[in-house]
Amino acid sequence: MAKNLRIINKYTSTYLFNKWPVVTRIRDYGKATSFPDYFQNPIFRKEDQVKLIESNELSKLASIPVKPPAVYQTSSAYQDPLVNKVINHVMEMGKKQLARSLVEKAFENIKRKQIQRFHLASTPEEKAKIILDPKVILHMAVENAKPLLQLSPIKRGGITYQVPGPITEKRSLFLAIKWLIEATNEKERTVHFPEQFAWELLEAANNTGKVVKKKQDLHRLCEANRAYAHYRWQ
Amino acid sequence: MKMSLNIIRYFVPKTKCHFSWKNPIIQGTIQYTTASGSSDVFNNMTDWETLSKKKKISKAMKAYLERAREHDDFMKKQQFEYNIGKRHLANMMGENPETFTQKDVDRAIEYLFPSGIYDPAARPLMKPPEEVFPARKAAEFDEAGRPHHFLFYTGKPNFFKLLYDAVENIQQANNFEDRVIRKKATPDPNGKLDLGGSVWLTKEQLEMALVESITDLEYDNFKVVMERLVSLPYSYRHKEFIEKHRKPLASQKFALEIPKPSYDDEGKAYITTYECLRKKARGDVTIKSPGTGKITINGKDLSYFEDTQSREQVLFPLIFTGMQDKVDVICNIEGGGPSGQSGAIRWGIAWSLRSFVEKDMLEKMQVAGLLTRDHRRRERKKPGQPGARKKPTWKKR
Repeated sequence: MAKNLRIINKYTSTYLFNKWPVVTRIRDYGKATSFPDYFQNPIFRKEDQVKLIESNELSKLASIPVKPPAVYQTSSAYQDPLVNKVINHVMEMGKKQLARSLVEKAFENIKRKQIQRFHLASTPEEKAKIILDPKVILHMAVENAKPLLQLSPIKRGGITYQVPGPITEKRSLFLAIKWLIEATNEKERTVHFPEQFAWELLEAANNTGKVVKKKQDLHRLCEANRAYAHYRWQ
Repeated sequence: MKMSLNIIRYFVPKTKCHFSWKNPIIQGTIQYTTASGSSDVFNNMTDWETLSKKKKISKAMKAYLERAREHDDFMKKQQFEYNIGKRHLANMMGENPETFTQKDVDRAIEYLFPSGIYDPAARPLMKPPEEVFPARKAAEFDEAGRPHHFLFYTGKPNFFKLLYDAVENIQQANNFEDRVIRKKATPDPNGKLDLGGSVWLTKEQLEMALVESITDLEYDNFKVVMERLVSLPYSYRHKEFIEKHRKPLASQKFALEIPKPSYDDEGKAYITTYECLRKKARGDVTIKSPGTGKITINGKDLSYFEDTQSREQVLFPLIFTGMQDKVDVICNIEGGGPSGQSGAIRWGIAWSLRSFVEKDMLEKMQVAGLLTRDHRRRERKKPGQPGARKKPTWKKR
């Protein structure tokens, strides 16, 4: 039944000069698989749009073709680009629903732990110090895990030197998320991912734990290899 | 011998004279004689001086004339055949051949010769011959075989003339800037050139405009030169030249025609958008106002979608416009998966909401990309490789 309906839907009848119906087929082929490059990226978040209105650029941009937002993008207040990024890093084999549920479960664990701590705290000053929002904790954890320097192998005179240099914002974000997930996966088989991930995030947000140590080790190594720094441009 | 010709010429009617005169002295005598004769009118009408200058038609010119004549004949024949074909088509479709337009021809061809060929360029077509056969340049040289265009020997005179003009404009803009600086005047702040709504002509469009084929490198050069002209502070003085080589982007489609809502039995305003599509999903969306934010998808509520992402997508336009508890949404959707279906519903809701929101909200929706139809489809798999783009692992040997 549904299939028949679909076939009827595929053929839309139009009347020409009220004489007889012509059945034209809507074709599925020959369509582009991407947008032309003059299509601008959409600006859909509330705060970005407010900025546009303040600078009077909104009506100017409205005359330019814009790409539609992707399936994972909304203007919802619960939407966070960093959370999306972390979900994508957690994802394996394209199982996004599973990845999302794991990250959300980790957030739930963080919230539970923090509320427990909140209730255990005796004085109001101590209570005020405890952050209850898991997203804020994620942001702090990633910020604390981001390295500032990197080592790149450069070959000079047949010897490969590990040369320290500055790191791009994008790569440091990538390394921070990667290290957080790697540290989470170094766990006992009996411990589930969300629990361990929540623990790692809390540790990193507190500026302690495996990931922050890894970052500090890298910084220390960069400091030790300072003497090779000139190989970057010589 | 020449004298005898001279005499003949004197007696034949002047309009039929094709002889050319090599000796100016002889020509002079003829003029004199004819002037003394009775046919003064004839003499005045014939421009003897230019006739004498056209000493001979060059070989290139001859060949060109021959080619032009052949081309004209060919085009005439093609036009004749096209007209006949159009009438046949009209008769086949049972319509009036006199009022049969090109649009009708395209539709008839699509109906009579349904084609499953992937590439649109390979499907059957019937277009007027001037569209099918590319335009040709008119004579590039005069009858003596000398080219008209000062850049003829570059091989692409129109293209290089364009670059030449662009550079001239750049120099003028620079000179103007120098003069302004010397006078210590302040530049006009309103004169800024706004090119946001247009793009440079594509290579194909430029080729059509120039009637010359250009290489990719030459097209890049064109873009570089024009960008340099645009980057100058006084480029707005050459706006006309710049605009000539730009094409406006698709303008605000959302503002074109926003349908007026109809009213049902209960007096509620409603709008139905048909053909909401994304990926393989097809459906229609009805929006009723005033409502309570009730969403019906194929008879179920929002739990029709099991994953959160799709639910968020359906709510996106409602939350964005702040209408989530002011309207009711009813959708019928089929085909595709949850992502495609929710995308189709998202577009349908946004498109229908146009009738219920303010003008400035429309602009916001446009900038947010909610009113852009996502026409992208799955890319086909290619033979010889495992996917659309994926290639087999490369092994040296």
